[in-house]
Amino acid sequence: MGYTLVYTQVLEFLPYLIKGAWISLQIAILAFFGGMFFGLILATIRTFGNKVSNKIVICYVTFFTNTPQLVQIYFLFFALPEFGILLSPYIAVLLGMTLNAAAYLCEIQRAGFLSIRQNELDAAKTLNFSLVQQVKYVILPHIMRVLFPPLSNHYIIMTLGTSMAAIFGVEELTGRAFNINSETFRSVEIFSLTALIYIVITFIATFLLAVIGRYFFKAKIRIIQ
Amino acid sequence: MHQIEIKSANAFYEKLHVLKNIDLNVDKGEIVSLIGPSGSGKSSLLKMLVGLLIPKSGKIFLNKTLINFHNQSDLRNIREQIAIVFQQYNLFQNMNVLKNVCIAPTKIQKRNPKEVNEQALYLLEKVGLQDKLKSYPDELSGGQQQRVAIARALCLNPQILLLDEITSALDPELVKEVLDTIRLLASEGMTMLIVSHEMNFVKEVSSRVVFMDDGSIIEINSPKNIFEKPSEKRTLDFVGKILKEK
Repeated sequence: MGYTLVYTQVLEFLPYLIKGAWISLQIAILAFFGGMFFGLILATIRTFGNKVSNKIVICYVTFFTNTPQLVQIYFLFFALPEFGILLSPYIAVLLGMTLNAAAYLCEIQRAGFLSIRQNELDAAKTLNFSLVQQVKYVILPHIMRVLFPPLSNHYIIMTLGTSMAAIFGVEELTGRAFNINSETFRSVEIFSLTALIYIVITFIATFLLAVIGRYFFKAKIRIIQ
Repeated sequence: MHQIEIKSANAFYEKLHVLKNIDLNVDKGEIVSLIGPSGSGKSSLLKMLVGLLIPKSGKIFLNKTLINFHNQSDLRNIREQIAIVFQQYNLFQNMNVLKNVCIAPTKIQKRNPKEVNEQALYLLEKVGLQDKLKSYPDELSGGQQQRVAIARALCLNPQILLLDEITSALDPELVKEVLDTIRLLASEGMTMLIVSHEMNFVKEVSSRVVFMDDGSIIEINSPKNIFEKPSEKRTLDFVGKILKEK
């Protein structure tokens, strides 16, 4: 193979790529927390709601977990304008990822609700914990501990999934890598550097999630997996 | 003086009538053991006393004060005076041993953390766990977890201690270490209600023994009489069967 690796040329674009990575992170964080919030509402309805509301949530979850995320975003971006709703590429991707995440995070959070141990709640009640104290000291740390692995995995999948935004012209990390590639044709260097940036982003995310879980929710989580 | 008075109490799990016309008085410093077959209502009786099972009728007095189980302030009041140790330990899995013992006295009773810490260390030493302070429940044996649960209950400085089949989930070799702890407490004069299948232990530590069956109290008698000449046939059948199995 006569290819010579030359990183000097692409390293000039590093600040440009890092700005793209920041946009990827923004999309991932906003969609994740939006999905968590919406998913929490859905999980609450699914666990404690009546039959009708439960069925509606099941339909929602089934639809979003059984169709490709790309198709869902295509629908928002290309089909909604037919109904007079015009979304920017950034908003279409953000909304699509949030709605999709809500379906998955609903199921993950529901599993957390179902895993709460009645034993510990009984102990908390007999020790005179108020409802808020039960949530703070018993329920949340337990849920966070149970949910930490699937939540962090899902967050990382979402971070990597933001590369889909490039298809819609959002200039996030992958979108910017495409741009540089079409200018320099140093594909190996550009995409290996892009991959490295994704690894750094996901590692930082895993670390931060563990710190949040451990120190804010008192969950027994290893900081370095 | 009766520390606990239960008068004609009835309680249900949904439609299941688990406690039927319970009448029982417990005096200060007394150790009352509850025996009977599984499902006879022994654990339900303990759960009722700490408000985990709300009686549907009857009256319960604690230190001569009538308890309203629908009133949060009354519930808080009984839970300040009565501590319970569960069969399955019910320790908080996300907290280490010391935190399990200290959390309620510091966060709920709002006591001085330093003083609570000292008391917790004393209690954990008393139950032989001074070297496990930083361990989490899943790193301990069943017997060790049960002793943490006892220390947690005692750190609340309760007037009354309820022990719900605390040895039934333990291996035989771990039973002794837990029972030794209870013997120590008994010698210090704490009021206790004990649900146990350890008949020799019941015989040894109890002031009185209550035999329950099908949600009702069948007989209340001295340990000697319950095991040697019970006044009820059902008690005789149960005790005979248990002693035969031993």
